[in-house]
Amino acid sequence: MIDSLCDEPGEEDIAVAAFYCDFRDQQEQTTANIMGAILKQLVAREEVLGHMRTAFQKAERELDGRGLRLQDMVRMLKQAIATLPQVFICIDALDECLPRNLLELLESLKDILQESPRTRIFVTGRPHVEAEIVAYFITGVIVPISPSTHEIKRYLERKLEMDTMPDAMSDVLHADILKIIPERISEMCVRTSILPTPRLVLY
Amino acid sequence: MNSHNTILNLNQVIADENPEIMRWLSPLDPRRRHQDVRTNRFDSVGSWFLETNEFGEWRSGGGGTEKAVLFGYGNPGVGKTFLR
Repeated sequence: MIDSLCDEPGEEDIAVAAFYCDFRDQQEQTTANIMGAILKQLVAREEVLGHMRTAFQKAERELDGRGLRLQDMVRMLKQAIATLPQVFICIDALDECLPRNLLELLESLKDILQESPRTRIFVTGRPHVEAEIVAYFITGVIVPISPSTHEIKRYLERKLEMDTMPDAMSDVLHADILKIIPERISEMCVRTSILPTPRLVLY
Repeated sequence: MNSHNTILNLNQVIADENPEIMRWLSPLDPRRRHQDVRTNRFDSVGSWFLETNEFGEWRSGGGGTEKAVLFGYGNPGVGKTFLR
């Protein structure tokens, strides 16, 4: 997704910032650190860097180099976004955030969007975080993600080509793998999806 | 990432020249994780997503602020992280 946005030839330059939430890193992935990681990717103007350098030097002098508070981080993020023509923020696996961080994160994103309405935000997560997302973005667009049968088949074909013991594979088993696995996975995805089709949520 | 995106390049230069400020902003480094994702991604997996109307409208901003947020949901392993 990020590469597609960056690689796309467009009339205007765009800025893309991405973040991957990870449950193994929950303690360090505080909302301020996540916002800081996004901000790092959006500093592309000397003036923004100048503000940051001043704040950094002040923190070194007065706060023993402590990091910014969330509200200061969001403020700087808004400043950075204001200097860019179009900003895309992508955050993967929101369900892997600690619950309190998730709500803070959504609140911060909402705050950013209110000030910079051209910003586009893409988030992914397991189905159960939908309620939280809808609570903050009632008009957000929700799309189910599932691999297509065609993609699964191509993936299996590639894996079978890399089989280190091809002699142990019979033609019948080979054909069965390519037929049955894609069908079963597609069925699983349909059964486990709460929402059947892409839709716009308007409550 | 590619090099024809000017903003990306400017950001890269600033980040490289100011590592102490970048570390102060956040100890987290999502670029490294992104490299892993790119390396492990299988060809054009998830390219169907880029062809959906929902993505197109979100990308172009056609839906305005109301459609500024796009949420792709799915169970573990369906390919959310690896969407092309």
